[in-house]
Amino acid sequence: MDASSGDEFAVGCILSIKTSLGDEFEGQIITYDRPSNILVLQEGSDSGPRRNIRLLKANYIKEFSYLGQAEDPLDPKKCCIDLNALQAREEAAIRQAEADAERIGVGVTVEAQNIFDALSKTLPVHWDKTAIVVMNEVRVSSPYLPESVSGGTPAANERVKKVLEFERKRLQARVAGQ
Amino acid sequence: MGARAREFSDDGVSPSQSEALVFATMCIIGLPVEVHVKDGSVYSGILHTACLGKDYGIILKKARMIKKGKLEANVAHGGMVETLVILTGDLVQVVAKAFQLLDDDIVRNITGEDTEAVAGTIPSFECLGTEAKMLKPSNAVVHKKQINNTRNSVQNENGFAHGFTATPSEDNLMSKIEEHEVRRKEPSYLGSALEIENGKRDSKILAKSEEAPSFPDNGRQVGDDRIQGKQDHSKQKYEFHRKETAHEIQGSSSSLDACITHMKPVEEIDGKMASELLPNGVSHDGPAPSCVKPNKSCSERASAAVMDDIFSGVPTSSNSVVGVTSVSCPTSLATPTEMVLPRGSISNKSAKESKLNPGAKVFSPSFTHPRSVTPPAVPAVASVAYVPNNSPVVPVASSQPEIGISPFAPRSSLPVKFVPYSNLIAGNGGSGSQYSQPIIGHMASRPQPVRYAGQYQPVQAGPAYVHPNSQAVMVGRLGQLVYVHPVSYDVVPGAAAISQLSARPLLTPNQVQFPKHQGSVPSQALQLCVPPPLLANGQQPFAVPSHIPLVQPPFPANRPIPVPGSNALFNTKFP
Repeated sequence: MDASSGDEFAVGCILSIKTSLGDEFEGQIITYDRPSNILVLQEGSDSGPRRNIRLLKANYIKEFSYLGQAEDPLDPKKCCIDLNALQAREEAAIRQAEADAERIGVGVTVEAQNIFDALSKTLPVHWDKTAIVVMNEVRVSSPYLPESVSGGTPAANERVKKVLEFERKRLQARVAGQ
Repeated sequence: MGARAREFSDDGVSPSQSEALVFATMCIIGLPVEVHVKDGSVYSGILHTACLGKDYGIILKKARMIKKGKLEANVAHGGMVETLVILTGDLVQVVAKAFQLLDDDIVRNITGEDTEAVAGTIPSFECLGTEAKMLKPSNAVVHKKQINNTRNSVQNENGFAHGFTATPSEDNLMSKIEEHEVRRKEPSYLGSALEIENGKRDSKILAKSEEAPSFPDNGRQVGDDRIQGKQDHSKQKYEFHRKETAHEIQGSSSSLDACITHMKPVEEIDGKMASELLPNGVSHDGPAPSCVKPNKSCSERASAAVMDDIFSGVPTSSNSVVGVTSVSCPTSLATPTEMVLPRGSISNKSAKESKLNPGAKVFSPSFTHPRSVTPPAVPAVASVAYVPNNSPVVPVASSQPEIGISPFAPRSSLPVKFVPYSNLIAGNGGSGSQYSQPIIGHMASRPQPVRYAGQYQPVQAGPAYVHPNSQAVMVGRLGQLVYVHPVSYDVVPGAAAISQLSARPLLTPNQVQFPKHQGSVPSQALQLCVPPPLLANGQQPFAVPSHIPLVQPPFPANRPIPVPGSNALFNTKFP
């Protein structure tokens, strides 16, 4: 659907949309911006206040069907945005993303990541390339077996070995249960 | 479809933009989104900003490819990209999942019950024959377009962009169109406007104080308990804006002490304000606006150009409501300092108190007439220093040549936090006036000095703001506003040190540019109002010597650094 066709989407309409990329969803039109050909929709109708918001290029709509009409979900003239809150939210999200990124090993196996996640529940860990560093002194290298634990004080080393062994057993039990 | 489409903007500036698209885009800024691109790839990241022009492009932060598309991309699958720009040609859709569009934390309802259109500060310059005008909340809504248009024009003239743009400097996708859109479409949030018509200058400020903790200073009643509760939040927010305007503060602070502004309250304006606001029932919840008009003797000196600079140079953030009410008199340095008489709006205060906490406590303002003096530019976020309700009443003569430290200890148990870069905190931050918020905050970067703190009200309440470890003492002396940090007693030994500093200013006005992240107190608070002879060559801000700990990292709160005046009162009062 192209803006040049002169058609416009009605605000409040509930449509079932199938995109050219294969997505299919139902949503209510919040707005349609003709110059950018962006269609803003919110998915769902009875799923509570939290819904998916989609900003969809209308020219990627393969087909759609009209399902109904509802009230205009948004009136920007009656609302204002707390820009500071936006800023704070973004900063918090970035911080969280950074924290999450540090927890994800690069070039490691899923098992290694699972072990990392399991260890992180009880011990401070971080990645050093593909090695898991526990308590900043004990390293757990691939293949992440108790024998792979090195460094640190004997007490810490032994502690990490025990925790690693325990976590591996737990992970194996989980996999076996699935 | 042939059905109704959402109205486009009818302001003529950017008719191509849909307000709702701007709004929806703004609502999802800072949220993790998934972006589908043309080749089928899906990227996940935090929506940082968007280009809202004809070509709708977006920028993601901390982006990561979560689905590989058909085409080769320069983004590794799974690898995180700090900033990812997705052009309109590649964009298919943006999905924000589990998102509440009208999130109460972000989106405020203008017409909601919790919305207060608080008429803010309106400066009145009698010398220019202007009157302060207040907007009723309803009028504010009606006239929002006019306000914003005017506001934009002022900004354009200054070349200064008010406030928030969702695009940091590193990004260029958020165009100016968006700025205009945002401002235009959230006028009441943006809050302030400068209106120039027929030679009159009126500052119309409308704010929704309840819903806007980001601009609590716009005449916001300091004693409001809710605001007290938001101090941390406001301060946190302020940190962001502080960075943007730090240099401006530095530049402007140099002019504060050099000249003296004669101000006196405008009682009739208060009455007008009350009369207009009372019918709406919102004026009492909001702070009593600060209305200060210059003294005639000073206004004679103030030229129209000066006023232009004052208004045009107001650096404010868009989310801050600025009460620009101060008038600077560059040539009044040699004149005796006239104390700023407190503005009396007792009726408002009483009504407010009764509404907020009827009968719970006795309202005890610090002064019979809370003083309201605002610097030329006071970004709202900067004015986050709150004065507790129960500030002690301290009698301070209005024209004492020397004002010592009030022996009264602040009784407030409410924590008050300093706002960095708030030189007015240093000067007025301790003010017991509950209407002192507009006073505190960033100082605009302009050559016009502003005299404030005529009575040096912060004297009595100053310690309330000071860090517990601090023994800040401020001594007012006829145009001299001096701070001495307790740590620097040895390096600034009383009046001798002052004269020494005055004779040899360490920093020229241009040099008074502290790093943005440094505490503002040193640079701001140490703007010494020196005797006229020392300022013969112009405004000379005086900064403390480098060995004086300007930045005080150990102390989270800014502490005014008092310097003992010639009377050395602090020695007696603060042994």
